[in-house]
Amino acid sequence: MNLEDQVMEIMRSVFGIEEISTDISQKNCERWDSLRHLTMASELEDAFDIELEPEEIAEMTDFSRVVSMINSKLK
Amino acid sequence: MNTFVYRNQTVETLFGDDGIAYSGYGDISLVPQDVDRYIWCYQVPVNADSTQLAQEIASYRDKLELVLSKIDAHKPFIIFSLVNLFPIKLTGDDVAVDHAVMDFNRHVAQLADHHPNVKRVDFSDFTSRYDAYTLVNWKYFLMSQSLINPKLARDFQAWWRRIEGELALKRKKCLVLDLDNTLWDGVLGEDGVDGIKLGGDYPGNAFSYWQRALLQLSRNGVILAICSKNNEADVQEAWDCNPFMELKREHFSALRINWTDKVTNIRDIADELNIGLDSFVFIDDNPAERELVKQMLPQVTVPDFPEKPYMLMPFFKELVERYFRIYAVTAEDRNKTQQYQANAMRRAQQARFADLDSYLRSLLMEIDIIPADDFNMPRIAQMTQKTNQFNLTTRRYTEADIRQRLNDGWRVYCMSVRDRFGDSGVTGAIFLEQIDWDTVGIDSLLLSCRVLGKGIEDAFLGTVLNLLHDEGVQKVVADYLPTAKNGQTADFYDRIGMECIGIADDSSKHYVMTLDKETEIKDYYKIKVL
Repeated sequence: MNLEDQVMEIMRSVFGIEEISTDISQKNCERWDSLRHLTMASELEDAFDIELEPEEIAEMTDFSRVVSMINSKLK
Repeated sequence: MNTFVYRNQTVETLFGDDGIAYSGYGDISLVPQDVDRYIWCYQVPVNADSTQLAQEIASYRDKLELVLSKIDAHKPFIIFSLVNLFPIKLTGDDVAVDHAVMDFNRHVAQLADHHPNVKRVDFSDFTSRYDAYTLVNWKYFLMSQSLINPKLARDFQAWWRRIEGELALKRKKCLVLDLDNTLWDGVLGEDGVDGIKLGGDYPGNAFSYWQRALLQLSRNGVILAICSKNNEADVQEAWDCNPFMELKREHFSALRINWTDKVTNIRDIADELNIGLDSFVFIDDNPAERELVKQMLPQVTVPDFPEKPYMLMPFFKELVERYFRIYAVTAEDRNKTQQYQANAMRRAQQARFADLDSYLRSLLMEIDIIPADDFNMPRIAQMTQKTNQFNLTTRRYTEADIRQRLNDGWRVYCMSVRDRFGDSGVTGAIFLEQIDWDTVGIDSLLLSCRVLGKGIEDAFLGTVLNLLHDEGVQKVVADYLPTAKNGQTADFYDRIGMECIGIADDSSKHYVMTLDKETEIKDYYKIKVL
């Protein structure tokens, strides 16, 4: 499974939505609320074994930003 | 189910948002009435000023009382105990916060005792698995106001599902117990008060643990009752004289110590205590008795009884967890045993009858009737020595005695019984004396108590009478000689259709029967005369 798919999988389970497209964002997804945002961040930290700073978590507002943040952490 | 959660921190990560609404932080102004239950889940905030923190915790109690006074007393109100998740102690002896937390928790326990709808949840059962740095993740707390680490959300949800299951559990109310081989090892009527095994070495010690555990169960509100085929006087003697008897008469709310079938007795107990049969658990070592109750009273829970005494405590643990565990016990629960005893005394007893034929048919009983021979004679002699309860004349014979009588022309038969639960072996005997060319006397008739209650005594005697009838015997005479233990057989010959022709001063009874026709025997016994 590549990184995008892994992120997708975590979003599916945290948001409780089956269909997730790559243009999902906090703005267009009602279930992406502030609490699930933190849950997602904590799941991503565990899945990729990374540490996200509060400021970084705040920046991860859509799918592509989430993926690029993780990529930058994994480098 | 709609739930409303009172909280002073973010707990949405723990409980989710499915059918759940939340109060504002520390806000009790809203008491919605259109919900099914309420949860009170406050966390101890983090504050290095312990005096101030202790005061804040003390204020929760008043808030809680206020909410409780406004909600419907029939709706569940689940209160989490307080846990100091991230204690900061500037000095080792700073116990102000600890005391405030303990005060609150003690108060909740009291509320639960006095309000049937209040359920106390011991939150430390969850938090004690983690250290303070795992419980509180400061990064997430400062972003979310959620003191409990969101990374523990899944663990919490698993734990909470278990607790909810326990909260919702419909506990059984009454445990009906057999006595012989169930509360002690052995048969009281055969082994005597001193002969049953209880206390001391194995297996007696296993039954001691079991009785003590059952006693605790009764102290926690489970009603105990006895349903046993026994003589009540023997049982009373055991209670009075056996020093290892932990469970005594006063611990039982209802007693059925008699020779009536257990189905009738359990129905009786349910009537007397006024509890539904679906609240009953029936414990008996005898699989045939269990099967009877299972078939005739399907509402009653009938667990298998352990085959080995050393499995009694694991069995007890399982019983508690499956049927009697509740999340918390109220003072009312603890008084229940006494209440039921009092009610029972007030209620008049009603006799009930159960149709046993279909049950007996299902047992597939097979009876072999075997003339005495060298192989079975030791067992026959032993039975005459040991059998007390179903024994019409209680005459004791040695093997030599039996041989002598056979030489004198007597006939001695023994009986072996099998059913679908197993083989009981040689469990009955009859001694027949040729009195005249056309007259036979029944000198002895006995059955081991482990085959009683299935009509086998009727089938056994009936078959023997038919044998005699076929041979041309015209008349049978018999005696009933009363003893302290054989009261259950006092009317046996009357029931079988014999004519009582005299009762002596010592209550012994003399019978005669004219063999002018075949004795009818139920067709569900498969009988073989060897």
